[in-house]
Amino acid sequence: MYKTITFIVFIAFNLMNAQVGIGVTNPDTNLHVGGDVLVQDDLNIGTLNTVTPTDEDFKLLTRVTNSTPVGEITVLDVNSLSVAPINTIDYHFTNISLDNLSDVNLQYDSAKYVVAISNFRYVGDAIQKTSAGGSKSIGHFVVRTFENGGTWHLEIKNRDLDLTPGDSVEYYITLIVYDKSYFRNLAPIVTDLGGSNSGTASSVPVLY
Amino acid sequence: MKAFKLILALATVSIANTFAQVGINTATPTATLEVVGSTKLDRSLFLENPDSNNQIRNSKLLIRTTGNEIIKYDIDISKYGPVNYSQFIFNNVSTNGLQDYDTKISTDDYIVSIQGYYFLEPITGDTDIMTHSNTDNNSIEGYQIYAYPNTTTNTWFLRAFINNGTFRTRFTSLPFSDTPIDLFLNLIIYRRGFITKEQSAITVDMANNETITAPLPPGF
Repeated sequence: MYKTITFIVFIAFNLMNAQVGIGVTNPDTNLHVGGDVLVQDDLNIGTLNTVTPTDEDFKLLTRVTNSTPVGEITVLDVNSLSVAPINTIDYHFTNISLDNLSDVNLQYDSAKYVVAISNFRYVGDAIQKTSAGGSKSIGHFVVRTFENGGTWHLEIKNRDLDLTPGDSVEYYITLIVYDKSYFRNLAPIVTDLGGSNSGTASSVPVLY
Repeated sequence: MKAFKLILALATVSIANTFAQVGINTATPTATLEVVGSTKLDRSLFLENPDSNNQIRNSKLLIRTTGNEIIKYDIDISKYGPVNYSQFIFNNVSTNGLQDYDTKISTDDYIVSIQGYYFLEPITGDTDIMTHSNTDNNSIEGYQIYAYPNTTTNTWFLRAFINNGTFRTRFTSLPFSDTPIDLFLNLIIYRRGFITKEQSAITVDMANNETITAPLPPGF
């Protein structure tokens, strides 16, 4: 009898609309829970509406593994996170030794992030061609990120030629820093073209 | 009156003690709790042990609308993807390159970056194009190919040019001379506030060193 009374106190019924409230006396929906819900196994939702072309500013749902209890469903709010799945950061390099950024340790942990370059700007004096054996070389200009010692590094320079001493350049780039919990860094695909100028990939990235 | 309520309860909610199954709007629940209809939670939902998904196909991300409804995210239908790609193709661009171009893409809502480019000779598609300094034949001018936020229009602008120089190609009558180009820019357009965040800009003073450690933004 005590159980029956408890049942009636906590669950409010409205038979006409078949609405059940738990912790609420006036349910808004068929089941309305006025607090938290813990599902220990599967949650299947038969009908989910789909985003419309006019929806904006919606948030991605994520499942947290360090909540109590485990598995809280939360929205991803990048404005309140220090690191988002994708981060863009403008860099400006000044007082460069001639044209050479030989090795800038960007310090992004390569176990956690993938770092890419966009929006490259070379702002400054021209590098002079150099004569070698009757012809002139334009050298070899490199803009790249690379992994070394567990972090991401940056190289921007003409590897063969230098600015004339007294001339100067500044570089601007936008780094795109991808978090590996959202973006996979796949293994390199190495193909020996054997001197040919066309070919087929030696292997296909493992994608499902 | 109490008895009447109890009868209603039994009619609406069927409880089988053996399987501990509860149905709301159904007399034959197929799970521990089955609700036929909509459900509203005022606070948190915890999924202690959901199945894992090892396929990127045949699944959709879940999103919450500004009205707090959980819905499916279909990139083909949505106004935007988390990350969007568009190739901007400019035909017959000045030999001076693209000096300023308004994409009309809002800086409030998006972050735009140029992540690839190439250029060809117009009409013929010939790749025989070189860059040439206005100063002299021995200067190798740098280039600038980038997107930037215009703070007057609040839209993203594009620039793609050779510093103090022009694009040149080989003509039958002349060895090399200035030419317009067809320019192809690969834009990646990120929606702000969804999965992408713009961090504070960093200036690195190299102090005339070739090798240096740059400051790491907070949180990384």
